[in-house]
Amino acid sequence: MLLTIMTATISNRPRAPRGLVPIGLLLAVMLPLLLMPLAAIFVFAARSGLDGFVSALSSPEAQFALRFSLLIAFLTAIINGILGAYTAYVLSKYRFPGRDALNVIVNLPVAIPTVVVGTSLLLLWGPIGILGQFLVPLGVSPMFMPAGVLLAHLFVTFPYMLGAVKPVLDELEVTYEEAAYTIGASQWEAFRFVLLPALRGGLFSGALLTFAHSLGEFGATVLVSGNLPFRTQTAPLYIFAQFEAGNIEAANAVAAVLAALSFVLFFALMQFNKKTVRE
Amino acid sequence: MTSNESFSQFHWSRLLGRAVVILIVGALVFYAVEPWLPWNARARPRTIVVYGFSILGDVMNKGIFPAFQKEWQARTGQDVTLIASFAGSGTITNQIILGVPAQVGILSTELDAQRLVDARVLPFPTWRNLPHNGTVNLTPFIILTRAGNPKQLRDFADLTRPGVGVVHADPRTSGGALWGILAEYGSAQQLGSSDADAEKQLAGVWKNVVAQASSARGARTQFENGFGDALVTYEQEALYDITRKKFNGELVYPRSTIESEHTVVVIDRNIAPDERALVNGFVEFLWSAPAQKIFVEYGFRSVDDAVNGDALTAIEKPFRVADLGGWAAVKKNIIDEIWKQKIISQNTNP
Repeated sequence: MLLTIMTATISNRPRAPRGLVPIGLLLAVMLPLLLMPLAAIFVFAARSGLDGFVSALSSPEAQFALRFSLLIAFLTAIINGILGAYTAYVLSKYRFPGRDALNVIVNLPVAIPTVVVGTSLLLLWGPIGILGQFLVPLGVSPMFMPAGVLLAHLFVTFPYMLGAVKPVLDELEVTYEEAAYTIGASQWEAFRFVLLPALRGGLFSGALLTFAHSLGEFGATVLVSGNLPFRTQTAPLYIFAQFEAGNIEAANAVAAVLAALSFVLFFALMQFNKKTVRE
Repeated sequence: MTSNESFSQFHWSRLLGRAVVILIVGALVFYAVEPWLPWNARARPRTIVVYGFSILGDVMNKGIFPAFQKEWQARTGQDVTLIASFAGSGTITNQIILGVPAQVGILSTELDAQRLVDARVLPFPTWRNLPHNGTVNLTPFIILTRAGNPKQLRDFADLTRPGVGVVHADPRTSGGALWGILAEYGSAQQLGSSDADAEKQLAGVWKNVVAQASSARGARTQFENGFGDALVTYEQEALYDITRKKFNGELVYPRSTIESEHTVVVIDRNIAPDERALVNGFVEFLWSAPAQKIFVEYGFRSVDDAVNGDALTAIEKPFRVADLGGWAAVKKNIIDEIWKQKIISQNTNP
């Protein structure tokens, strides 16, 4: 959905009239609402000086948290990229009873509070959980392990790939695929040369959105990770723990990196969308 | 394949751009994966996992852990790493019950340790077999005010005055908050008030609570960020900042207050047989003279009076939880029946 909104704003841009008042009004609203809070992170980081910033960032704990967050985000983007695209394909191509209900369910994680996701994972896998009460005595439990963090992130970010790919598939004429078959294309060739090029944009922006959301996930992670430095502490958890402990510089250095990363990610997404619209 | 050539015309600049993007993404992937690569997984030193209540962060990470590493290295020649997570005592207890890999827990209250027995994490109160019944250190509860004490807050009774904003940790997740409640209630009793007046004092303080954090350390950060006029917390929080010359506020000693006792628990189910000697070594170390001295350097009071020295401020009428009848009685009579049922349920404040 975000994708469609963004492409719409890009393609429908009018021949800029000089609207000083509306632009000024927008800035006046956006300044305290969005821009100043974001700027505060970087202003604070700058105030502690480059040395302070670098040393806060290079602490082993912060380094681990950043790397762990990136690793989880990559894995989430890859797994949910494949799962989400496959789900979109099935939901878009096949008609079966319960399809509408399934369509709602797979999109639900966008609306469920992430804390609820964490709770429900614990109630499934934890020692008192539905599966956990059998598995935990056997020594099997993903909770408080990196696998648990990954499970939480897969749940929370599931709809993003789906949302980016399914609209494209819905609009794609089946005839193209069929035409490919009539000229003797194999199933793989039809996928490789008809479906995949059409989906490229959706796949890319879906993966990027999944990655970005995973990088910033907090609510579900805080419950299932155990928050252990060098084991399961992600960057957002590190920020929270350090901030609560009063180590604001340490928290802010990592926060600045996350903010910059998400800025770059969304800039890449916008550029990419601009390009696909032009083409 | 021939169709591909006409589709995307061969542009060097485009190829270069693509190469840069691939290089950046590749570097990012490598950065993320590097710690997990096989050549980094080689023989990591043995590890002890500690979960501790919130204010222990600095004393453990900067004081106790390095000292134990040195001692263990000298004694056995082995390297050992310690990793630790710190949060409100109640939060940590819940996490241990749900299965975090904690081998040693340091809890703010024995009440939380008892919850581990109730949840069958511990077979019986095993901590009572440790030195000092499992109590590793102490610290009295005090009032922290803004520099110069502009509202002239001298005792818990002053915190009931209208217009005074009190920052307090949340008793549902913080052990420090429970100690705070006992201090606010028990001090009135110790100074000769009736039970009804003690209850009135507790209610008065809680009417003035303007902010709650999930841990004592979190409440401290809220206070530092400008909430409220007073913070009820561990003396350690203030003493540690005074020794670091980072203190900016006023430390107020009530005439009567509680001395909190912090309980060490050993979580046997998370300790493999070959790790037992190491974990036991660490737990014994906590009560050794060097470790107790480190606790005092970081603002705690030692269980060993000889280590404390004379520098600490004497409190006129100190008391312990045993003086109020022990944790079981206190939980039922003060926390549940008074604070939970009479005060917090009728209080419209957060």
